[in-house]
Amino acid sequence: MRQSRREVVAWVGSNIVPHEADLRARLRRMAVPEQEISDIVQDAYLQLSKLEGIGHIGNGRAYFFKTARMSLLQRIRRDKIVRIDSMTEMEALTLEDQDPGPERQVSARLELARVRALIDALPDRCREIFELRRIEGVPQREIAERLGIPEHTVEAQACRGLKLILKALAGEGPGNNRTISNRKVDASDSQHHG
Amino acid sequence: MPVTASIMDDDDAVRWAVRLDAGPLDEAEQAALDAWIAADEQRAGALLRAEATLAYLDRGRALAPLQHEEAEPYEEEAPPRFGRRLFLVGGALGGICAAGLGGFMLWPGQDEGGLPARGQEIATIRGEVRRVPLADGSFASLNTASRIEVAMGQGRRRVRLDQGEVWFQVAHDRTRPFVVEAGDVRVQAVGTAFSVRLRNGGADVLVTEGAVETWVVGRESQRTRLAAGSRGFVSGAALRTEVAQAPEAVDRALAWRVGDIALNGEPLSHAVAEINRYNERQLVIGDPALAREPLVGYFRTNDPENFARAVAAMMGGHVRSEGRTIRIER
Repeated sequence: MRQSRREVVAWVGSNIVPHEADLRARLRRMAVPEQEISDIVQDAYLQLSKLEGIGHIGNGRAYFFKTARMSLLQRIRRDKIVRIDSMTEMEALTLEDQDPGPERQVSARLELARVRALIDALPDRCREIFELRRIEGVPQREIAERLGIPEHTVEAQACRGLKLILKALAGEGPGNNRTISNRKVDASDSQHHG
Repeated sequence: MPVTASIMDDDDAVRWAVRLDAGPLDEAEQAALDAWIAADEQRAGALLRAEATLAYLDRGRALAPLQHEEAEPYEEEAPPRFGRRLFLVGGALGGICAAGLGGFMLWPGQDEGGLPARGQEIATIRGEVRRVPLADGSFASLNTASRIEVAMGQGRRRVRLDQGEVWFQVAHDRTRPFVVEAGDVRVQAVGTAFSVRLRNGGADVLVTEGAVETWVVGRESQRTRLAAGSRGFVSGAALRTEVAQAPEAVDRALAWRVGDIALNGEPLSHAVAEINRYNERQLVIGDPALAREPLVGYFRTNDPENFARAVAAMMGGHVRSEGRTIRIER
């Protein structure tokens, strides 16, 4: 179980996470409120976390969109979405993976560039730690030794960096439309934007 | 209020993901993590997202090699490649393959492998799952409503799958290739466990141990090798073979051997079609949207009533029994 969970995590990392920004953008175009978008995305990950294996999923992106559509429909039906202006079930059904083009087969080089860009955008200390841990594969303990800082500091920086990257993946970074719920998120993390 | 709560959960999820990434948890930490997850259903999703994002960043380490690992279905060019490999294997086995090929060329001329004209017929009725020992020491586990004809000769062993799905545990015997015929599809094993399910226009092949070779009548030179943990759809009509490496999916797909059906996100319609294979009382879904709902879990194949109730409870529907049908409705 534990091991298969590791496999699921790795698979989700390479087949779902890269498409999260697209899914959120699509939901935003459908005028779904930001908080609902976060919940729908979270829901999709929750569904994935319940799976014991991912062997049956051929196309992660399509599966991700499909799960999100299901969640959106359920929300509309159960009135979880308080009121999305004029959003109907028919419209919710249009939430599909409509752009299966090059995005689906992102080249290794392009994807590498995206990962690099995410890490490069981190504050200095954070970035250094992420480069060592994620790109060079150095264990956390050894990073602490190399940088001459306590391990818990490395861990704290890693948390800070991961939070920023999650936000960037959610399209909440600079340059995107901000909504009320985003501002709340930003407020809790405002020191990183100074 | 919910906004704040979920932000706090996200922060905790990030902390746990980073902690898990640093190394194994001790007992107390594991207990704390379990308690944290158990307190709110959403947290498992938040944790997976955080962990998977770290895994995504790890692709920076080895993106190029990763691209080759993906075992996507093989296209047209695959068979020749396997053909070559088969040739090498054949050499290694000292002509076994050649013998296999020879036997196969002469196939319609009955007697070549010393096969009896008519074999032994074994069948299961709907709802029955049976494991049957064969004369050569192999076992055949027949799924619901399946039928095979078994012919054991001196030079080869042949099983014709006339209907349904069978899992074979093949007794090792290099001198007598074990070949399953499913329509136009052929699956050959030496000492292996695998299943074959007859489908429209082809056959599903799932390999649990060892390896098999499959081909289509008329395209004998284009063989596809399937190793343990992989599944393939071999199609005679489309002249193609799709192969995927999916050990967990293979195990799940064979849960019928113990009377279970294992679902891992497949839509309700798929689950209902599967369960209906086993029972006289047929499940009917009264709502197309319901039919698309994904399902996760193990269910008994012989208890459609309870399955329907479980589904209705999960998806907020209700069950209506009418004679030989059980309707699941919204």
